[in-house]
Amino acid sequence: MFKKLIVFILIGVIGYMLTVTFSNIPLGENRIGSLDNPETVSAFYLNKSPQDLKVANTITAIVVNFRGFDTLGEVTVLFLAATGLASILYRKEDEEEEENIKHFAHRLNLPSSSLVRTGAKILFPLLLLLGIYVFIHGHLTPGGGFQGGAIIATGFLLMLISYKGFQTNHKVMVWLESLAGLGFVGIGLYGLIAYGSFLQNTGWTGNLNDLISGGLIPLIYIFIGIKVATELTNVLDILLNIKPRKK
Amino acid sequence: MVITPVHYIIAPLIAAFAIPLLTKIHKDAARVVPGIVLFYNVIVSFVLMKHIREHGMISEVLAGWQAPWGINLVVTPFTGYLASMVSILGFIIWLYGFRFKRTLKGGEIKFYEILQMMMIAGSIGIIITGDIFNLFVFIEIVGISAFSLTAFYRSRDGAEAGFKYLLIGGFASAFLLLGIIIIYTQTGSLNMAQIAERMPDVPQQMKIIALIFFLVALGIEAEMFPLNGWAPDAYSQAPTPTSATFAAVVSVAGVYALIRVVYTMFDVEGVNNYLMIMGFVSMLIAEIAAISQKNLKRMLAYSSMGQIGLVLIAFGIGSKLAVFGALFLMLNHGVIKSLLFMTGSYFIYNTEDKKIKSLNGIYKKLPFVSFLFGLGALALIGFPPFSGFWSKFYILMSAADEKYIFLIIGILLVTVIELTYYLRVVGRIFFAKEEGEPASHKPSVNAIIAMSSLALFIIVIGVYPDLIMPHIQSAAEALLDKSNYIQQILSLN
Repeated sequence: MFKKLIVFILIGVIGYMLTVTFSNIPLGENRIGSLDNPETVSAFYLNKSPQDLKVANTITAIVVNFRGFDTLGEVTVLFLAATGLASILYRKEDEEEEENIKHFAHRLNLPSSSLVRTGAKILFPLLLLLGIYVFIHGHLTPGGGFQGGAIIATGFLLMLISYKGFQTNHKVMVWLESLAGLGFVGIGLYGLIAYGSFLQNTGWTGNLNDLISGGLIPLIYIFIGIKVATELTNVLDILLNIKPRKK
Repeated sequence: MVITPVHYIIAPLIAAFAIPLLTKIHKDAARVVPGIVLFYNVIVSFVLMKHIREHGMISEVLAGWQAPWGINLVVTPFTGYLASMVSILGFIIWLYGFRFKRTLKGGEIKFYEILQMMMIAGSIGIIITGDIFNLFVFIEIVGISAFSLTAFYRSRDGAEAGFKYLLIGGFASAFLLLGIIIIYTQTGSLNMAQIAERMPDVPQQMKIIALIFFLVALGIEAEMFPLNGWAPDAYSQAPTPTSATFAAVVSVAGVYALIRVVYTMFDVEGVNNYLMIMGFVSMLIAEIAAISQKNLKRMLAYSSMGQIGLVLIAFGIGSKLAVFGALFLMLNHGVIKSLLFMTGSYFIYNTEDKKIKSLNGIYKKLPFVSFLFGLGALALIGFPPFSGFWSKFYILMSAADEKYIFLIIGILLVTVIELTYYLRVVGRIFFAKEEGEPASHKPSVNAIIAMSSLALFIIVIGVYPDLIMPHIQSAAEALLDKSNYIQQILSLN
């Protein structure tokens, strides 16, 4: 009881300090400053992304180009999370297996209703298409590689939960995942070799608002989309079908 | 310049993405490729160190945008020194674990190698980045790898340790992000140099709150009291090369981040005293806790926390001599503690439990390993002919210069405590009556090479410290010269 009281008091103090601090920050107000003579990074980004990069969606320009190295890091975080899950979540071959299966047998064998199955079947290709659309148009419309990838993974999740025994093709997944990651790093290396700076964009950027514009930015987002989609699908696959592994 | 700082990160990334494919071609690829990459990082370190000695610090811009706008990687004598140290130790740890993992049960070697390599690469990233959000990303990379590796053996305790670490690490990430948000709203920049430049204009209240967030978040990574509850469990449950990496690489990166934020970004009065007090408390509590440990790896973990406490004390004193001593101690801690973990794990391998009391007379079974362990223990305590002596000596000297009598008494007291529990173990190893069967796990050749090179370093630096001192000297100068750092980054390009 006493311990709980202390915890509550501490949480109260932290909450109070945070409230005071954040209420003093004028969030939402325009503090960007002049676009032509930028002092803050936001002004610089808003100025440069349509002018120099010819990318209509400034957020994409920030995520993929200005702070592309961070994005590479975040993609790696996702990759490591999937790797870590795969390294921990498995079942030793004889361990508890039979007991578990007995316990959950009646649920495992229950098929989804035909409504769910038919719906999933119809939605699945549409979700794939939407995901691909979102990451291909990442530099023009809201969304991008992460969002598109997540949409595709949602499609796979739908299939995994409505069809028992739905399997993703592991070989294809591993290849796609690795090649997409290597593609991202490869574009970065191209910048390093050709222009002397890792992830630097090409000089040719096309016209603002064209599908093919922004130099290498759409290409990077396509790689990110593929990578995120395969990784999230892998994570779902690992979580839903914990696989046995030899001792 | 052909080799640039970004190679530190690109090479491990390419390897990490390619290893799942390469293992399909040859099943040993997952073991060999990280070694090649980590060795390449050692080469990168040497080239960059040579370059900065001749031409001054490097600030590499990424994606072609100049320093305050884009992300930059900075190699000063300070970050270069730490990055070289981390990459060399990372390579030695890989060498040590090269055959060790053949005995791995259950878990797949591919995953282990990827996570281990990325943990080291992420730590180098923390050290060389000049951008505060990029620092956050690298801390995430290190964190995610570290959580998974802690639970890698999937024992009951391992899962508990991993989960504990995951929860605390999650808090650290959230707090760090909040701190970065506050700083960004106040300065409009994410570049460390520009933040440091604009920091005097930030209202005091915001500064303090942001600093508290940074101290809590990075204190967790740097194992500062009272935020180090995860450390003993994680150190003792992780595979041995990972424990050595925690001590030699991850904690170094954590301390670096803390020091960079406190020394360069913020200009708050009194934070040095806070570091000193917290370092002192963590040192005292950790060392006292170490006495009562029955498990060898746990004892080493507490000893690690004590050493990090001493490093924080020295950074808290803040004079040039103290920073010099702290940087020297970080190196010594990395080398000696990895050696102790490496040798200690062979003892654990050859006993049924991980307990200290079953080490009786293990000298007869594993003479060479026992010898190295004894050497490491003496060096850690600070006996004169070994490298550990010098770092402790300089820290004591700096404390004496500033007339911190209590610190001196405390450090000497802690040395006595260290003496007690290390010599207790060493005494058991060498002089107690032998028990049990002959050793079943003899060290492999690569492990012997790895351990001997660490031991050689301890002796050579102990006898001839001038070999490394100029580097540490310039590293300390680079850390303390804040205005030069700001100027060089914001106008060099």
